[in-house]
Amino acid sequence: MPRDSTSLRCVLQCRLASFAAAALLNVAGLSLAHALPHVPDKDGAVLAELSAGTRYADVSARRLARGRVDVAIPLAQFYVQQSRLSGDLRFLGYAEAVLAPWMQQSPPNPDVLVLQATLQQSRHEFSASLTTLDQALGIRPADPQALLIRATVLRVLGRYAEAGAACGQFSRLVESRLAALCIQGLLGLRGHLDSAYSSLSQLSTQGWLSSEKSWLYSELGEMAVRLGRNEEAERWFQQDLRLAPTDFYARAAYADLMLRQGRPKDALSLLIGQESHEPLLLRIAIAQRQLHDQALEQSSARLRAAFAAELQRGEAVHRREQARFLLEVENQPNLSLAAALENWSVQHEPDDVLVLVQAANAAGRPEAAAPAIGFVQAQGQSDARVESQMAWSASR
Amino acid sequence: MNKLRNLLLLTLLFAGPVAQAHIASNGFLTLNVQGPRISGSIELAIRDGELAVGLDHDGNGQVTWGEVKSSEAALQNYVRGHLRLAAGESSQCQISFGPVEVNDRIDGNYLWLPLRGECATEVKRLFIEYRLLDVEDPSHRGLLALTANGSAQTGVLGGTARARQFELNDPSTWSAFFEYLRAGIWHIWSGIDHLLFLLSLLLPAVLMRRQDRWDAVPIAAPAFVNIVKVVTAFTLAHSITLSLAAFDVVRLPSRLTESVIAASIIIAALNNVFPRITAGRWRIAFAFGLLHGFGFASVLAEMGLPKGARLASLVAFNLGVEAGQLAVVLTIMPLAYLLRATDFYRRGVMPWGSAAIACLALFWLVERAIF
Repeated sequence: MPRDSTSLRCVLQCRLASFAAAALLNVAGLSLAHALPHVPDKDGAVLAELSAGTRYADVSARRLARGRVDVAIPLAQFYVQQSRLSGDLRFLGYAEAVLAPWMQQSPPNPDVLVLQATLQQSRHEFSASLTTLDQALGIRPADPQALLIRATVLRVLGRYAEAGAACGQFSRLVESRLAALCIQGLLGLRGHLDSAYSSLSQLSTQGWLSSEKSWLYSELGEMAVRLGRNEEAERWFQQDLRLAPTDFYARAAYADLMLRQGRPKDALSLLIGQESHEPLLLRIAIAQRQLHDQALEQSSARLRAAFAAELQRGEAVHRREQARFLLEVENQPNLSLAAALENWSVQHEPDDVLVLVQAANAAGRPEAAAPAIGFVQAQGQSDARVESQMAWSASR
Repeated sequence: MNKLRNLLLLTLLFAGPVAQAHIASNGFLTLNVQGPRISGSIELAIRDGELAVGLDHDGNGQVTWGEVKSSEAALQNYVRGHLRLAAGESSQCQISFGPVEVNDRIDGNYLWLPLRGECATEVKRLFIEYRLLDVEDPSHRGLLALTANGSAQTGVLGGTARARQFELNDPSTWSAFFEYLRAGIWHIWSGIDHLLFLLSLLLPAVLMRRQDRWDAVPIAAPAFVNIVKVVTAFTLAHSITLSLAAFDVVRLPSRLTESVIAASIIIAALNNVFPRITAGRWRIAFAFGLLHGFGFASVLAEMGLPKGARLASLVAFNLGVEAGQLAVVLTIMPLAYLLRATDFYRRGVMPWGSAAIACLALFWLVERAIF
């Protein structure tokens, strides 16, 4: 096709971007809803495994929680924990159900508020989470849990100065190792990556809880990735996953490392059995695409349906994943760029920078990534992945 | 409380800085309305079914197909008690169910319940009250796909919007109409190949061929007739093939149509430089217009025609193409008419402009046919 037709295609695609994203994804989702129902062959066929907290019988505990806050808090906390372990958002709904009557209380119990903020953060409802935390900290200013979530949310949003203040307050209330994790993690994003990495990697983990070690290793793994020290990153991720096999975040980051290195087979074996977890299924689909695997069809149909459902709900928990899906699986750079920009308007993590730069380059509009590049430069943030992307685009 | 705080801290630390999770709890409600009758299905995750009615009878932590079947009546009662369909405030629809099946989605197996609604009156506005799992999981939503009278709409049910109403004479048909109209205009303006073809045929319309040279037509009438004939023939021809292709009656490989379109421009333009056909150029317009129609169709295929509004969208797209084309003709041809007697037009624009068009088209032809 001559150039003018290509530009026509762009015009249509750009103008129809939202229409297409919604309509195309929707059609895919809806058609999937019709296409597949079937009757299992055997009565004994197991259709679902129920984990703790998902039984009908648990409803009685919830009834009890309606009248007693000392039951409601540990129960909600159990659900939040289950959600973390399984990656299942439904548990957050159960926690919300347990907390709901206690959120009406005036003044609310600060532990209830902190739990509510935790589940809001998990759903990427960042500003709601910050509001709830303000309320909690208003009642109990020296609440380390609330301060840590606050630091976490602000870090995701790229509001590092405020995150630093929350870390500072947090540090005064907790043991030094936790303070170091909070502060050095943030310094690593603010122009001190080398020193933050070496100071965290020199910590002795003697006497640490395994959850604390897991936090340390995944932070170090990500720092090593940004430093371009891939072998070290791999070692940190492996150490973390040995300790915390359900650390989905680290597993995804490790798989990304393998995919960048052109090791789709290794990535697939790392992700085997994790198909029900949307961000991990995305990595599976990317690996399958690199391998020209037949199973890609099914993976991408499932992802398309899941993103369609999210779009229809008007929630965007997985904006970043959606941008990557459009770019790395569907090969739709213009739509991907639109999604990456929308993602950037909310979150400012290094992976958000990366997906925006990649989408902008692929769409032939590297200038579209300017806000992210400006942010990175202003913070003095270094990331070997982003730098190699920019070198690649400059060489063209 | 201290111990509790410590536990909370562990919870947070466990996942590291950012929580990730997979998809939220959704039910999928698919409805099709025809007169007073509704047909469709509701899909509920087995996990959600367990919370709603208790499917795991033997309490072994596994839900089997046998357990699902024995809970079928309970499930139906639950849905009937938590889903209300009505044709008006007081006109309830009776819901009945077909046999349950299983559907496999990203987050596990879903129960798929076919359902029917019988309403007392024809449904013009559908009221839906959706309260499934409202107690068990406030984040549960019903994702609605509703079709009626050939148009489709979607909606989110549950949460704070438990009861919603949907107008079935979907006004979005009009917005789709304009969408396709605009796409048609855009296509003709940015797809310059169709315009160049038409222009090649129209450039000589203000001239006449006499003794191997181009002379200006003395009055407007013959020029006007020439233009109308060519434009009409082109329009008629591409409308025919565009419709045939849009409804999948005929389909040609796009490399072939794109190449022949390029060739048609070369022929039309060269005919101005080395005139062979000087009378009845509308016949060229018609013959090649048939192929240009297939070219339009490929754009339409990329956009897709919305189900239920296929004809309207096709008409809209075609009208857009005509409008865009007419706008260009109305801009250029009066200018050509004014300039027709000048050497610039007769010895410059006619031969050299046409030759330039032919060269460009030749380039396209090579590009499309070979690469």
